[in-house]
Amino acid sequence: MDSNIEASQKSTERAVKSGYSQKIAKEIVDVCYSAGVRLAATLPDDWIANTIACFEQDIRFAHVPVNREESAIGICSGAFLSGTGSVALMGASGLMTLIYAITKINYTYEIPVFLMVTNRGSFDDKAKFHTSNGLYFESVLNSIQLPYTVIKKQKELPRIEEAYHHSRKISRPTVVILSKKLLQGKG
Amino acid sequence: MTYYECIALLASRWTDELVVTSAGTSSELWYNITGNTEQVFYLEASMSLSSMFAAGIAYGVTDKHIWAFSGDGAFVMNAGMLAVEQQMALPNFKHFLISNRVYGSTSDVPLPGRKNNDYEGIARAFGIKRVYSFSKLDELKNNFDKAVLDPGYSFIHLEVEPVSERFGSPPLDGPELKFRFGRNIEKVSNKKVFSGQLNDERN
Repeated sequence: MDSNIEASQKSTERAVKSGYSQKIAKEIVDVCYSAGVRLAATLPDDWIANTIACFEQDIRFAHVPVNREESAIGICSGAFLSGTGSVALMGASGLMTLIYAITKINYTYEIPVFLMVTNRGSFDDKAKFHTSNGLYFESVLNSIQLPYTVIKKQKELPRIEEAYHHSRKISRPTVVILSKKLLQGKG
Repeated sequence: MTYYECIALLASRWTDELVVTSAGTSSELWYNITGNTEQVFYLEASMSLSSMFAAGIAYGVTDKHIWAFSGDGAFVMNAGMLAVEQQMALPNFKHFLISNRVYGSTSDVPLPGRKNNDYEGIARAFGIKRVYSFSKLDELKNNFDKAVLDPGYSFIHLEVEPVSERFGSPPLDGPELKFRFGRNIEKVSNKKVFSGQLNDERN
């Protein structure tokens, strides 16, 4: 079997063929590093395959692929208590599964985590199976008072760092929502 | 072995390890027996995430050993955690799965698959090399050093009898637990948990 790095490189090739920008993915990862992120716990969405590959292939980070989004919240919450900056990277549907983990772990103990998620269900998302995210995603975040910002343009990427530090300041999770056009390099 | 005997033995061999307990009986008993509120994070709001939470701590606090406790009620919700643990292969991390075949903190409601769940086999099937399983106190006592003190990640299944009583939660609110545990890590491992993750700008 090929190594994790080789498999990740193949994923990069496929993501680029699908129209997602490796340059933007690298820039996202660089901003995360600048913010203080050293560990990335990820579970894929097609839009962020390049970003996940960049974390995997970048020796500045510990990349922890998880098989359930809640596990990313567990790892990132523990990482905070070890003084390690982290990001949980996932699709919008993944965040929709996290209401329990965020409200129980992060709200009960006031432990910050920083999440980056895709804006699935947006007007430019052609997948019918993400219609529910378009209808309910932001309303769900608002219902648990989870602060978020949507990044649509490359020039807005420094807001990742602001959102990361905001989570540490308020001792709660914060979320950056990444748009499709941004991830395609068209933002 | 009884749940109490099991936790009492582990607590008697406990030195400077950081401990993360799970929802229900493991938190209640560990607090009841040790009373410790600095080396232990009582993750009562956890439901299958205590070992992942502990793995995040173990990743960053490399100079301390971390003991994570799960119940089998939590484990069957997220057995995939073992794939993550196996891949992380943290050398300072031990995962204790305490199995009593019931949801102990909710009046001993029986678990799905309670008769046939083979936790040792599940762990081995995920590729974990160091897997131990003990159902008798003497077995745990006699193999403690090998299973728990030898370096490297290991998964330790402990089969216990269900507990018929509740021992009470540690009397701490969430933020107090966080600060007590985090300040202890700052003290013993020289990590900047609270101050180090904020930027210095004030405006």
